[in-house]
Amino acid sequence: MNWNDYASAWQSQGLPAGAPADLTALRQTFETRRRKLAVTLLVRDLAETAAGLLVAAVFACVWWHLGREGWPIALAILLILGVSGCFVRERLRTRRHRLGPDAPLLVRLEAEIAELHHQRRLLLHVWSWYLAPCAGAIVILLATLGRILVRRAPPDFFSRLGEHPAPAAGIVIYIVIVLPLFFWGIWALNRRAVRQRIEPRLAELEQLHRDVLAPATDHAASSR
Amino acid sequence: MSPTADPASLFRSWLEDHRGIVVKVTRSFAAAPADAADLEQELLLQLWTSLSSFAGQAKPSTWIYRVCLNTALTWRRGTARRAQHFDPAADVARCAAPTASPADQAGDRELLEKLYAAIQSLPDFDRALVLLSLDGLAYREIADITGLNENQVGVALTRARQRLARLMKGVTDELE
Repeated sequence: MNWNDYASAWQSQGLPAGAPADLTALRQTFETRRRKLAVTLLVRDLAETAAGLLVAAVFACVWWHLGREGWPIALAILLILGVSGCFVRERLRTRRHRLGPDAPLLVRLEAEIAELHHQRRLLLHVWSWYLAPCAGAIVILLATLGRILVRRAPPDFFSRLGEHPAPAAGIVIYIVIVLPLFFWGIWALNRRAVRQRIEPRLAELEQLHRDVLAPATDHAASSR
Repeated sequence: MSPTADPASLFRSWLEDHRGIVVKVTRSFAAAPADAADLEQELLLQLWTSLSSFAGQAKPSTWIYRVCLNTALTWRRGTARRAQHFDPAADVARCAAPTASPADQAGDRELLEKLYAAIQSLPDFDRALVLLSLDGLAYREIADITGLNENQVGVALTRARQRLARLMKGVTDELE
């Protein structure tokens, strides 16, 4: 038997008639999915933007309480808004580059590979667009608070602090240990996601891409 | 899509003419009956959803192949059901396509079952190429659907056919 026999059997196969597509059910499923997806996207986009706005509002509130002396907090607010802006820009970019389901297979494969490379880059450099601005904003806030505290504190404040060191120690531990650990955790989780999810998928798709476009000579060599 | 065409009637008429594409793609990408039902539903839904994006630049059959193959490839990648890797030594003789139609000719039915099982063991892109080629599409049409140029289609198809032949070796001897 050869290819022609396969093709002949294939083309003469009796296809099961099956139930005709139920358009009403399809429409309902489509509408349900569309609504669900729209809600999920709205919640995600709002959550990401709202989180940034909320933190910026808290910082603004602190600045308002501190008065003019708290001006460096404006820089922290800009950094936080910048992070939110990165999320928004990323969503817009994804929407712009989305391919329809009727795109040619290779174009879609290449777009998927490009998207994975982009995600890999984003996650590997999460420190530059997310962690560093957030950490910077926190450092600016704490430094401003500390500077103003030193300036405005009553003369016996630090001697009283020495008598009850627990709260101060808690704050120092939070700043020196908890916050860096938190940021390190985010960085490590992102790297793990790259290692465990994105890179294997990328390798699989790039291999597929190489296989599809491999010249005949390569194949002849590999099949020998 | 023609501006005057009613999407529902267009969809119905396309399904009447090209139902075979949906069935063949389903059977080539999903082995278990439950998966096949799931994938077929997904294909129909995606076709219906994408109908508005049909600009009439391609033949309806080309467009349907693209949507169905893209959906099937995404569906396979998104599920844990996919076979891990292409295995040239897969025991096709023991595999069977469970959704074989009772209407198939008895002689060809077994061959078709083995053929579907072999296609299911191929790497994703090879499945698509083999399916399109078995359906008798010219290189030009396969190139339109896959985005490869005609030379690349020729090379990739030769490779896919050789893989399929390796998988079918023994099976066809048995049938002969």
